[in-house]
Amino acid sequence: MAEEFNTESMLDMFLYESGQLLEKLEGIILEKQDADCFDDADINEIFRIMHTIKGSSGVLMYENITKVTHKLEDVFYYLRESHPDDVPHMELVEKVLAVSDFVTGELDKLKNGDTPDGDEKQLVEDLDEFLGRLKGEIKKQGIEMPQANRHVEPTQFYITPVAGDDSHFYRISIHYRSDTQMSNLRAYSATYALKEVAEDLLYTPDDILSNEASADVIVAEGFHMLLQTKSSKEEVIALIDSSEAEEINFDELTKEEYGNALGEFGREDAVPAPQPVEAAKSDEKEAKKEGPKPGDYVVKTKEAGKGKTLAKNQPKQQSIISVNVEKMDALMDLIGELVIAEAVVLQNPDLKVPGLELSNFQKASGQLSKITTELQEVIMSMRMMPLTNVFQKMRRIVFDVSRKLGKDIELEVIGENTEVDKNIIEHITDPLMHLVRNSVDHGIEENAEDRTSIGKPAKGKITLEAKNEGGKVYISVKDDGKGLNKEKLYQKALEKGVIENKPMSEFSEKEIFRFITLPGFSTKEEVTEYSGRGVGMDVVVKNIQSISGRLDISSVEFEGSEMTLVIPLTLAIINGIVVQVGNSPFVIETASIKEFVRVGEDSLIQEPSGEEYIVLRGECFPFIRLNEKYDLPDSVNKIEEGIIVVLEHEGSQVCVLIDKLLQEQEIVVKPIPSYVRKVKGLSGCTQLGDGSIALILDIAGLLMHDGERR
Amino acid sequence: MKILLAEDDFASRKFMDKQLSRYGECDVMVDGEEAVDAFMMALEDGEPYDLACLDVMMPVMDGYQVLKAIRDIEAQKGIPKSKRVKVIMTTALNDERNVKMAFELGCEAYAGKPIDVEKFEKVLKKLGLI
Repeated sequence: MAEEFNTESMLDMFLYESGQLLEKLEGIILEKQDADCFDDADINEIFRIMHTIKGSSGVLMYENITKVTHKLEDVFYYLRESHPDDVPHMELVEKVLAVSDFVTGELDKLKNGDTPDGDEKQLVEDLDEFLGRLKGEIKKQGIEMPQANRHVEPTQFYITPVAGDDSHFYRISIHYRSDTQMSNLRAYSATYALKEVAEDLLYTPDDILSNEASADVIVAEGFHMLLQTKSSKEEVIALIDSSEAEEINFDELTKEEYGNALGEFGREDAVPAPQPVEAAKSDEKEAKKEGPKPGDYVVKTKEAGKGKTLAKNQPKQQSIISVNVEKMDALMDLIGELVIAEAVVLQNPDLKVPGLELSNFQKASGQLSKITTELQEVIMSMRMMPLTNVFQKMRRIVFDVSRKLGKDIELEVIGENTEVDKNIIEHITDPLMHLVRNSVDHGIEENAEDRTSIGKPAKGKITLEAKNEGGKVYISVKDDGKGLNKEKLYQKALEKGVIENKPMSEFSEKEIFRFITLPGFSTKEEVTEYSGRGVGMDVVVKNIQSISGRLDISSVEFEGSEMTLVIPLTLAIINGIVVQVGNSPFVIETASIKEFVRVGEDSLIQEPSGEEYIVLRGECFPFIRLNEKYDLPDSVNKIEEGIIVVLEHEGSQVCVLIDKLLQEQEIVVKPIPSYVRKVKGLSGCTQLGDGSIALILDIAGLLMHDGERR
Repeated sequence: MKILLAEDDFASRKFMDKQLSRYGECDVMVDGEEAVDAFMMALEDGEPYDLACLDVMMPVMDGYQVLKAIRDIEAQKGIPKSKRVKVIMTTALNDERNVKMAFELGCEAYAGKPIDVEKFEKVLKKLGLI
């Protein structure tokens, strides 16, 4: 069933395994949706998948899942044994997907700690009816009827523990008055009362009954308990007899803190708390790499003053381990800190003393830089995951939506093995889903005739492509549908009042396309089940911006549109240029800088309203003086003396005035602490080599702010 | 039906005893060795147990050892598979590997603690005990 190294609980294992199988199932189905029938290998595979899920759900006693998968297994059993012709393929595909959806739904319930109580009756009836027709077909075609599929009822069962996710963890300390008699018995009665509600209870001193001297210890040092329970704080307090008690300290702990505290209470090799899913995992991870054996869990007789301990095997080396994502994130943060620390050392002002002999230092620092760079690369590669799963979901969406809308659409997937950071995958799934839905719904023409009449093939085509280029990931959704109509977009935007009243010629093509990303904009007259509510594109853009990516839109009317998500490969470390304005250093991401120029006063245009523009080679750019914007004293004010940086974001440009360039370096992005009010135009901060803090310019924010000002 | 319950923790023992007593006579043991002794004794008296509920973490012998000992004794005495005592492990050790090992050692069911009483009863039905 599972790999040896897994320490997941039984339920986790079932969820994981079934999830994987279902994904595989969907993969097969969607790949073969357009074929006329499944081939033998597919039938076998689907049969096997259903058989496995049926088996394991039977052991765990999720009867509705068992029944449904059982039926579908039957269907595929007959297909496998009799090879009937003329199987209604599309119907079969739908049936399989229905089962897959049902099981996925139930698995989700289990994941959330709910009971899988979905009603399977309708689905089983449908499958029965289908199976009946299939059997009739087999008879009609004169194929010998196979023996009925024999099911072996599971003979072993696993009873999942009652969900214990809502356990609380407390540390309780009771200090008795110094004249308290027999405090050990009072302590005992407290533990006794708590045992009623406890899932786990530990206390120190723990020899309260057998050792009368413990009474003195309790009076002197207090009586400490660790409690895991489902009861609330109030309920627990009510249980403790507080007479004679001078003080009761009551702290709620997190699961991790509780795990750590177990150690203090003398459980070096902690007994896994009777909490099924996670508590045991962290404690046990290192301890048990090798499979357990009978005799591993003998509880050793207590020695006075010691808690329960377990006899355990020595860990054995494994070639693969599964790692908590939080630990990976922590490592990533640490490496970020390391990069900063490295810069602090290598650019230390102390080294700038004239006449210092530094050649050995330079050699050593070169080596250090090399190692930190490699370290960065390794941690990045550890976090990389292929987009395969995300793209798989898109296949399903195209299939579902196109069937619902009665459109014939083919999906081409390119570069699904492209790897991106796990964080990014989490952020792009929803936006991508939206784009794909939009393409199917709005992009491809309603009727095949609309396509054939302008010489396009009747079947619509959507291309999903991912590629890695120059530190960025490009994920594009391209359709060969009707494309965007600029005139219509403009009219619509005016009607909805989402843009200013300016003639259409004042907007560039890109700007017009970008109207669809404005909140409250939707060109489709009717709202369909899938899209058209005008929420969506703006959310897509927001989501993408939150991981500092952007959305590019290009389109040719009647030929199709292409939406491209451009996302930086990694989020935490960017390549930046440090510039200075007044006494403050700023960082600008290298990728967003178009050029540095020095211009004269004559290139400056000042409008009566105070707005300024710079004319460069006949083009006009909005101009921002950073020193004025952020009130920085002692800075260059004449534009001949400073440097103009041309910045670009999503096709819009802006010029900013800076005093001088300092250096280019790897920048570890840290969020601006929450106690600083959110400042427009700044996306984060970082620490520079000399220890000073530099602010990172957010080009999108600058542009937006600039727009509002006007 | 005759039931053997091995459980060292008092609270769990009391709870299980209460639950199981509804279905039949329940003998309660507090460690693994006692459980095997009791099993042997019952076998020799010609009144074998129908069901054994074994905790895993117990003094002297753990539940897996008890399970193995029971199955070994049965094999040695030539007791057919259908006549074997039905064994349900009751434990908080829910690692998939632990569960698998217990299945391989020949238990009928593996109940994670805290025990789901409803499902427990369902399993007893499926095992043909009630």
